[in-house]
Amino acid sequence: MSVAEAVAAGQLPGRVWFYSNYHCNLECTYCLTESAPGSVRRALDPDQVLRLAREAAELGFTDLGVTGGEPFLLPYLVDLLVDMSEILPTVVLSNGTVFGERRLERVRELAGRRVEVQISLDAPEADLNDELRGPENFAKVADVVPRLVADGVKVRIATTVEPDRLDEAQHARLCELHRSWGVSDDDHLVRPVISRGRARTAEMGTVFDHHQIPAELTVTVDGAFWSPFGPTMRDGRVDTDLLLTRTVEPLAVPAAALERLVAGRPPGDDAGIGIR
Amino acid sequence: MSLVELIDADGAPLLLRDLYAGGDPGPIVGALAQVPELCEVALPFIGKALGASAVSARYKEFAILRTSALLSCRYCVDAHTVVALDCGLTLDEVRALRGELVLDDVFARPEERAVLAWIDAVATGTGPVPAELGAELARHVADHIIVELTVTIGTTMLLNRMATALELPTSPDTLQRLAAVGLAAGAAASGSSSLASPPSPASPASLAAPASPGETPVAVGADR
Repeated sequence: MSVAEAVAAGQLPGRVWFYSNYHCNLECTYCLTESAPGSVRRALDPDQVLRLAREAAELGFTDLGVTGGEPFLLPYLVDLLVDMSEILPTVVLSNGTVFGERRLERVRELAGRRVEVQISLDAPEADLNDELRGPENFAKVADVVPRLVADGVKVRIATTVEPDRLDEAQHARLCELHRSWGVSDDDHLVRPVISRGRARTAEMGTVFDHHQIPAELTVTVDGAFWSPFGPTMRDGRVDTDLLLTRTVEPLAVPAAALERLVAGRPPGDDAGIGIR
Repeated sequence: MSLVELIDADGAPLLLRDLYAGGDPGPIVGALAQVPELCEVALPFIGKALGASAVSARYKEFAILRTSALLSCRYCVDAHTVVALDCGLTLDEVRALRGELVLDDVFARPEERAVLAWIDAVATGTGPVPAELGAELARHVADHIIVELTVTIGTTMLLNRMATALELPTSPDTLQRLAAVGLAAGAAASGSSSLASPPSPASPASLAAPASPGETPVAVGADR
């Protein structure tokens, strides 16, 4: 079965992810990649990302994703997103705290394009949110999301929680909040903390088997992985248990490996812990 | 301590999980697992080249242990000293292959001397192998045996350089086995004077039948 056939059959997710970089202005308690301001600057070459994005489209993938680290710390990110969105619809993950006026002006160029900016917010109140994500995180997100929406940039909100951390009332308040910013319920994702990276070190999060999460091909400077939850870091080293191949170009090499691993897997078999 | 991280069962990449199903697959797999797509094709090849085949286990171990000693590969000499003994080679034969005894004093059969002369020439030479050695070997064994022996030598050289460069560790089990038979671990790394003396040309002998399939499988990564 080809990649295109596997995607069409629902056996293989259509999105290819790129870890644009590993450094970040925040140091979240549950970060998969141990990202921090002091992280070693390791970034994918943007020209390579574009070559791989084109190949992804040729292979039959349907969507692209960019994550990190904080992708918007890269000075070329907006240009890259514009180019990627010409190839396939693209979502970029951000902590939403690096949008000063100059950067915000650049990000407005994404309005009307096939780009969604997915911003993290873990609780409806500053104290609970900032405990996980760092000081002033809540205030910065609350400031930037409505401005992006008003400028026509498509925004999603992602909430990452421990199972017992966000009760129903808090969840309801969070939804009221994102609706008030112009973000619909359809664009609000809630997902569990995964017990990898810094979360595992802190004994947080849900332990999972790789079959319980979508097999979304993920490209990094360290190789290609089973999912964006694959290239995690622990004690400064990259985990290899969800490594597919060190070869990322041509993309057909890791794509074929992934397709081989999911062959025979029934559609929907990857929804075990609610990450979709 | 090896130069690179040897991937253990917890870090076994998805394509290679079957290799780890039976426990620690050893340092060669642990190192190759750093590159799963290379490992998954290299291991079957190495298994074919070094494992049971038309070449007898005895000749396979001649090629592997002798080549490893000639290339001063501590890891491979340690591991295949144990494998060679398990394959039925005598202690003196193993010591001779390791360079601790003179080959001619231990191996008298013309066919075996021809095999050993070929191994020494292929493993240590540069450029063409002396024609007389090939001719002598061809007097004793069939073409496919020559081909396979040569590939075994070449594959062993690849592993020798890999294991040496990456400083792969000898396992405690192997060290224990070596101590039990009174053979020094790491002997190859310091070199042996008799390694410099190739076996003397074999005397003419009748064309021997190809070696029978090995009675004892030669395990890749036997040093677990």
